[in-house]
Amino acid sequence: MSIKVWQKLHQNSSIIQPFYIREKVIDAIRLHLKSQKFLEVETPKLLPQPSTEPFLEVFQTQLKFAEGDAHHAFLPSSPEFALKKLLVAGVGSCFEICKSFRNGEGRSSRHNPEFTILEFYRTPADYTNIMRDVEELFASIHRSVFPNNTNPTFPLPYQNKLYKLNAPWERISVAEAFQKYAGIDEDTMLDHAKLLAAGKQKGYVVTDQTTWEEMYNQIMFNEIEPHLETQTPTFLYDYPASQAALSQKKQSDPRFAERFEVFLAGFELGNAFTELTDWKEQEQRCLADLEERKKLGKTPFGLDQDFIDALKLGMPPTGGIAMGVDRIVALFADVPAIQDTLFFPIDDLFPPSV
Amino acid sequence: MATIKAGNLKKGIFILFKNEPFEVTKAEFYAPGKGSAICRAKLKSLRTASTQEFTFKSNEDVEELDVMAKEMTYSYMDGDDVVFMDPRTYDLVNVSRDLIGDQVGYLIPELSMYLVFLDEKVIGVRFPQKVTLKITDAEDAVAGDTINAPKKQATVETGMTVHVPLFIKKGESIIVDTTSGEYVGRAN
Repeated sequence: MSIKVWQKLHQNSSIIQPFYIREKVIDAIRLHLKSQKFLEVETPKLLPQPSTEPFLEVFQTQLKFAEGDAHHAFLPSSPEFALKKLLVAGVGSCFEICKSFRNGEGRSSRHNPEFTILEFYRTPADYTNIMRDVEELFASIHRSVFPNNTNPTFPLPYQNKLYKLNAPWERISVAEAFQKYAGIDEDTMLDHAKLLAAGKQKGYVVTDQTTWEEMYNQIMFNEIEPHLETQTPTFLYDYPASQAALSQKKQSDPRFAERFEVFLAGFELGNAFTELTDWKEQEQRCLADLEERKKLGKTPFGLDQDFIDALKLGMPPTGGIAMGVDRIVALFADVPAIQDTLFFPIDDLFPPSV
Repeated sequence: MATIKAGNLKKGIFILFKNEPFEVTKAEFYAPGKGSAICRAKLKSLRTASTQEFTFKSNEDVEELDVMAKEMTYSYMDGDDVVFMDPRTYDLVNVSRDLIGDQVGYLIPELSMYLVFLDEKVIGVRFPQKVTLKITDAEDAVAGDTINAPKKQATVETGMTVHVPLFIKKGESIIVDTTSGEYVGRAN
């Protein structure tokens, strides 16, 4: 049996430091967004239908009433659908800091099945506004965690490296990154057969079953993401349309979607969109996702019709982002794993069986 | 050789990667949420001892090497080699100290552990999770230094230093985790 975090705290009170940083980071996020007139909201953690991401496994439970009726119920993998209903309802720019749940992941230093997520939505806005919001948010967190540091580059020491958080952060499109770091041009990247051929030439395992998405993903992890660990954070933007998730396609080039992810020190910190507001396209994507879930053998559930009905009423033009709060805390606390920022990490509660 | 799925890679197994033998020193199965599942691995080359990271598709085939793990006991140091003995046959096996790295500090006489063989050659060593070490030197606790670091350095019988709580004294035996190097507890 390894020592649990609360036992370590009992032995050595100095390891409480990352938890103080955690409190400061979360306070700073709230203060910053509220000063920008974002409304803080709370949405349910028990849902009849969770959101439809095909690759995420969910936690399922049962809701029972004394009257005798029982319902399938799920823990949300993100508060996204609920927040979008509120945007339709007219609450304006809003945010939530809450627990979200993802099942079936591996034990890793960057994941915990129950984790703290920040989602904020700005309206009217698109994903470029969100990039600037994220830059400003990190400046605010930096001022709160290091109140005596007036260095205008916002230096962040992390695991013996020094990062600079001052804006503007690096911005590189997915197509540029594939060209620059993997030597793969845009046409090759977007084409299934061409991408598999390029991957095979690089020495990756390619079979009849290898999908475009798997090859794209593997090149992304092996050849692109390691380069995004430079001195400054990086926005990787304009994803291939098939990777749009809940983002709007680019009007100027519908082969790509207005989505970005933000990286720092090897952590993917957030995933942002110019939010898709077209209900028809959203419904198609949700149904395709549910179909894909079936193929992948994930827990089945129905479409959140309420979400589609909301979009039918008209969602304002919105930019939004989901960020991993535990990862942000790990960075500012200078600890290697998100579990170092949790009083009760999953391995303490559910230790590995072997 | 056996074929396994990359999603089943585990720390401590040996694989053939790009036609070279590697030890998997870290493997994290990872379902990124927005894409298909992958396995992030750290691989240590058995030929050059250098490490590299590689991300596998979790459903891709990987060749696992057939290795044999044999229980041996530590005997003595011989220059740059560490000599182990098979307790059943009394055969001696020399292992390069480089293969063991910093963990030489856990080698106490008669320590029983597993050596991993590939075609008669030792390619890895596996220490027990915990070893018991005797403290040969420990400074007395200094009062006032207890707020930030209620631990002190102590030297153990192998010459290695370990961070221990202030109450640990010279002559006591402690249990140390061989992976993290951390003090686990007093050995009664």
